[in-house]
Amino acid sequence: MIVVWISAGLVFLLSVLGICIYNRLVTLRNDVRNAWSQIDVQLKRRYDLIPNLVAAVRGYMAHEKQVLENVVAARALTLSATKVKERAAAEDGLSLELKGLFAVMEAYPDLKANQNIMLLQEELVSTENRIAFARQLYNDLVANYRTRLEVFPDIVIASVFSFRAAEYFAAGSDDTQLPKAVLSSSA
Amino acid sequence: MPITFIDVERQKSLRIVLLLFLLVAFYFIFAFIVAQAVVLFMFRADSFFVFGSLKYAAIIAVFVLTLAVVHFSISGYTAVQRVIEQVRAGDPDPEDGIHRQLVNIIEEIHVASGNVRKIRCMVIPTLSMNALAVTDLRGEAVIAITEGLLSRLSRDQLEAVVAHEAYHILSGDCLETSIAASLFGIYASAVEGLKGVSEEDFRAVPFLFLFWVLSTLGSLVTMFISREREYRADAGAVRMTRNPLALAEALHRISARWSGTGFISDGLEMLCISSPTIDAHDESEGWLDDLLSTHPPVRKRIAVLLGMAHVSASVLDSQDRSRTAVQMPGSPASSVYGGSAQEPVVVCPSCRGQLTRESSESTVVFRCRSCMGLLVDNDKIPRILARKQVTCTDRLLALVRAVTADNQRSLAIRQKRLKEKKNEETILCPKCNRVMFRTFYSYAYLIEIDRCSVCHVTWFDTDELEMLQCLIENKIAGTIGIASDVQDV
Repeated sequence: MIVVWISAGLVFLLSVLGICIYNRLVTLRNDVRNAWSQIDVQLKRRYDLIPNLVAAVRGYMAHEKQVLENVVAARALTLSATKVKERAAAEDGLSLELKGLFAVMEAYPDLKANQNIMLLQEELVSTENRIAFARQLYNDLVANYRTRLEVFPDIVIASVFSFRAAEYFAAGSDDTQLPKAVLSSSA
Repeated sequence: MPITFIDVERQKSLRIVLLLFLLVAFYFIFAFIVAQAVVLFMFRADSFFVFGSLKYAAIIAVFVLTLAVVHFSISGYTAVQRVIEQVRAGDPDPEDGIHRQLVNIIEEIHVASGNVRKIRCMVIPTLSMNALAVTDLRGEAVIAITEGLLSRLSRDQLEAVVAHEAYHILSGDCLETSIAASLFGIYASAVEGLKGVSEEDFRAVPFLFLFWVLSTLGSLVTMFISREREYRADAGAVRMTRNPLALAEALHRISARWSGTGFISDGLEMLCISSPTIDAHDESEGWLDDLLSTHPPVRKRIAVLLGMAHVSASVLDSQDRSRTAVQMPGSPASSVYGGSAQEPVVVCPSCRGQLTRESSESTVVFRCRSCMGLLVDNDKIPRILARKQVTCTDRLLALVRAVTADNQRSLAIRQKRLKEKKNEETILCPKCNRVMFRTFYSYAYLIEIDRCSVCHVTWFDTDELEMLQCLIENKIAGTIGIASDVQDV
């Protein structure tokens, strides 16, 4: 009789433990998904902002057609990507092109005088930062989640309920560095 | 340390409870003294001890507890509002480009921290450079940045500062400091205000006393606010922005310029990114300094951050040249953290900022980075004057003419009226705190300077040394006839 009780107690304890682990894994997975959607929001924001900037700048930069075309092409490319890795690579490419555009813009003092363009540029710089931060958060959460999936008791639950590891949002190159504006050393 | 901010649980800090206990204890002692005094003096009961009677003790305890709890909850729930009112912070102006940038930066920090908590940003309209974070029991959180900081930091640096403040809020340690500031810190300025009133109106005296006790308790509270949290917030900021160099640069600028006393009031320093008052304890280490200070030495914080960025400290100095730095090539000005720690802190007599060592013409002088005033040992003045080849700009020349003419006039008047005592504002010697006397460099060179007769140092206000040099080089003499001028007056 006692054996039955003890084994019943053990089963009960184990199932409670299992439920806890399962719930934690679900929470983590949802955090990862939420972070992914955050990246998406920011990417969308950038996607919407770029045509405005290109249109505003075009008039000033008659000689830099190539730079603008590169930006537009890179923007179009981001839509065609389907896999996470491809998407990351396409977005990285767009970031790079934008960096080039900002660098070229530095050489046009007329642009600095245009309040509207400065505003657009600030919005884009901010969006670039947000993308980088959202990505950073996503990758941190993915790392967290992946560790959980591989750690001992969790790995059992994970394989039973087929939790799958999320992919890092990275294309290999790091692009957290923003174009550094050269500022006069004192205000 | 948690991996992300989503993992950061909102901890109910033990220290908040401690604060409540401190407050209760304070009220208890206060009430006991009052009650005992009333009993002794009013009822002429010679040796009556209030707590001897259980009834009295119970009444006092209940009274004190209610009072303390009410005071605590009012302070705790209105901390944000009160601090904002005190520093006169306002919402950012949506029309303003730089303010819009600040709003964007806060949004970015929200993204970086996973949107766990909404933080408002505000702007403090002063020229000093500082930033503070405040939050309260209602869950409202505000980061306020001064205009001076907004305009003098680059975007990356501002981002790092905001991230630092955001970490204070997200990690929960801001709540305890906010409540402490709201409970005790706020009264420091009330004391200053009441001092003036109480000279005319005696009814203000008890309030003055109460506020004074509260603000003194406030400085005791700094004892258990640990310096460690600043290091932690620096680390947290780096984790959010992944840019330790920007934060190091920002700290360096804040410390090298005027962090601003007088504007951000006393008693709020624990909320700020770097201590607004110049205090010897802040810049040194040891258990006593740890106890009495709310911020670790900026020098050390910068060193830690630079270690993360794998950059040596000399980079900052070469990046951040001061406005008029007159530096010899090869002898860079040693800044706040570069100098030796044992050196006494010297404070600018006109704006209370910290003076920094600087080498001018191979000689050591102390310059205030905010008003550009200069403190020079008397025996070094001739050296500097002899060595320095100043370029006399038109502006300086015009200034020299105007000032000498004006001084000549006032000298003539003074001589005529036989040293009638002028009610001039005097300043205190930065070294010994005695009154400095205002005099002319010499009667041939009529530039007014401040001298301390004890320490044998001279304080030059902005441009005064340059004017003097210009005067000596160009041999400008006053052009106004003294006699005729005096008659006009």
